Amino acid sequence: MRKWLIQLVARVPATAHAKLLAAFLAMVALLITLGVVGLHELSTANKRAEALVNLQQKIVSYRELQHDALVQNDSVSTALMVPSGELEYEFLLRQVNQFRSDFDRLRSLAKDAARFLGPVPQENQALSQILSNDDQLIKIVAYVVDVVRRGHVAEGRDRLMRAAPLADQLELSTGKLVVLADAEMAASIKQTREAHVHSRWMVIGFAAGSIGLALVLGYVISWSLIGPVKQMDAQLKRIASGDFSDRVEVQNRDELGALAANLNHMNEELGQLYQQLEGASRHKSAFLANMSHELRTPLNAILGYTELILDKIYGEVPDKIREVLERVQNSGRHLLGLINDVLDLSKIEAGQLTLALSDYSMADVAQTVVAAVESLAAEKKLTLTMTVPPDLPRGRGDERRITQVLLNLVGNAIKFTEAGEVAIRATVSDGQFLVAVSDTGPGISEQDQQRIFEEFQQGDGSSTRPKGGTGLGLTIAKRIVELHRGRVWVQSILGHGSTFWFALPVIVER
Amino acid sequence: MGLMGTRILVTEDNEDNRHILRDLLTSAGYEVIEAVTGEEGVRLAETQRPDLILMDVQLPGFDGYEATRRIKGNLALRQIPVIAVTSYALSGDDVKAREAGCDAYVAKPFSPRDLLVKIRECLAQGTPGAPS
Repeated sequence: MRKWLIQLVARVPATAHAKLLAAFLAMVALLITLGVVGLHELSTANKRAEALVNLQQKIVSYRELQHDALVQNDSVSTALMVPSGELEYEFLLRQVNQFRSDFDRLRSLAKDAARFLGPVPQENQALSQILSNDDQLIKIVAYVVDVVRRGHVAEGRDRLMRAAPLADQLELSTGKLVVLADAEMAASIKQTREAHVHSRWMVIGFAAGSIGLALVLGYVISWSLIGPVKQMDAQLKRIASGDFSDRVEVQNRDELGALAANLNHMNEELGQLYQQLEGASRHKSAFLANMSHELRTPLNAILGYTELILDKIYGEVPDKIREVLERVQNSGRHLLGLINDVLDLSKIEAGQLTLALSDYSMADVAQTVVAAVESLAAEKKLTLTMTVPPDLPRGRGDERRITQVLLNLVGNAIKFTEAGEVAIRATVSDGQFLVAVSDTGPGISEQDQQRIFEEFQQGDGSSTRPKGGTGLGLTIAKRIVELHRGRVWVQSILGHGSTFWFALPVIVER
Repeated sequence: MGLMGTRILVTEDNEDNRHILRDLLTSAGYEVIEAVTGEEGVRLAETQRPDLILMDVQLPGFDGYEATRRIKGNLALRQIPVIAVTSYALSGDDVKAREAGCDAYVAKPFSPRDLLVKIRECLAQGTPGAPS
């Protein structure tokens, strides 16, 4: 149900902005409705209170009327049964008229009350009854007073006796009015109580409904937005890790839906590009591997024959030819070095150079390098020293490649140093081998210190030719050290020699 | 073992390399037999029983590793030392050579002098009866 709702909201073809606005407006509308309902209930309650006051007044008036009726009947019988003066008759007539005017006032009061509480048929009936009774009674009293004034007391008395039931009726009717009004009052109080309970539940219901709707809307809309964002986040992580196989399935038809569609599109494009690149890279690597093999085969023959001739396998070699052949040999070796370095670098760039991890001794590595370059150092009359503490731990890494790195650094140092010494030092600290190769050569300017680790660059911007070498050695050394999760750097002051450092984790895991 | 009469089987598909090895080994006093393919190398090893085999690993047909496996799998031939000759920089070639049963390993380009040293070492050691 929850999921269904979220998906429903997600599928609504409106922008996220419109959805949020709609939800906000819905909440505002509910609050306004709640306010209107509250005000309406309040005003109804006020009207009821007003009606109750009216009713109260009506009851008081009815009681007065009932009292008046009694007094009037009493006065009429007293005044007319007992001989009286003109003054009493006047008073009597005034009193009868007074009753009538009280009654009229009361009827308008009853109409007011009826306006609030609805008409009461029995009351109207009683009122008309009173009206007709009173009409008759007024006429009779007026007639009797007239007869008695003229001295026909007996006739008047007789007439009055005959009107006695009318007076009783009037008394009864006013009594009935009071009873009715009392009943009406009780009913009205009951109604007011019920109305109060009703409006209380109404307000509570609206408030609870608003809160519930706000929570549901908030939850559903926020999840219809957050869900796709999370999905896309996960997809971006997959893309970043090179996995282009998945798509995001987002049902939103808003900005997020468009974003997801773009993401999928980008994913496809990237995936295709990635495949093309992978293919191209594979082709490039295969091409380079084949190429270097094909280039090497004839070169090996050239170098082999040259060496055989120089070794006098084919007989004595005149000095002039020997000199030329040595040049052929040097150029051939340089070319071979270039081919090998290019192959190495292209394999590293293609991520195809995997480390052959094994246990090794850094002391052995240094020893191997010293043995390989000793003769070169001796030729240039350089002192070659090696300082490796005996308690250096055994390392784990690609021994052949680490040897290649150190050989490159030491080879460079010897190549560029004309006099003095080349020193190899190895220490261990913080789980890392720290190897330094110092020389007393010309040094490297600060601006060249970064450049020399790039392809085909040597110090002072000169070409590789004057000092030989391929210009790829340091680049390869840097990449190999980085493959071991280590780093290479140089410290040098122009004119004061250089120290090349590399740091390697003692234990390299895959 | 006297130098005279020591026969070395050179299995190498490149004619120049065969020529160089022939000249080098002959001048060093060895007798040289030549094979161009892996099949031929195995056949000559069986029929000629050389004292040592130089095996190029990149050969047409089955390669030098396969040829070495077949030779080392033959009880009559397994004591013949085999030196694998590989191209440079193919990572793991030394491991593959050892796994195939080669007794030593030389990477191209080799110096003729170094190759001769290695050949003499192998011949002097003789071959362990059963290489592990």
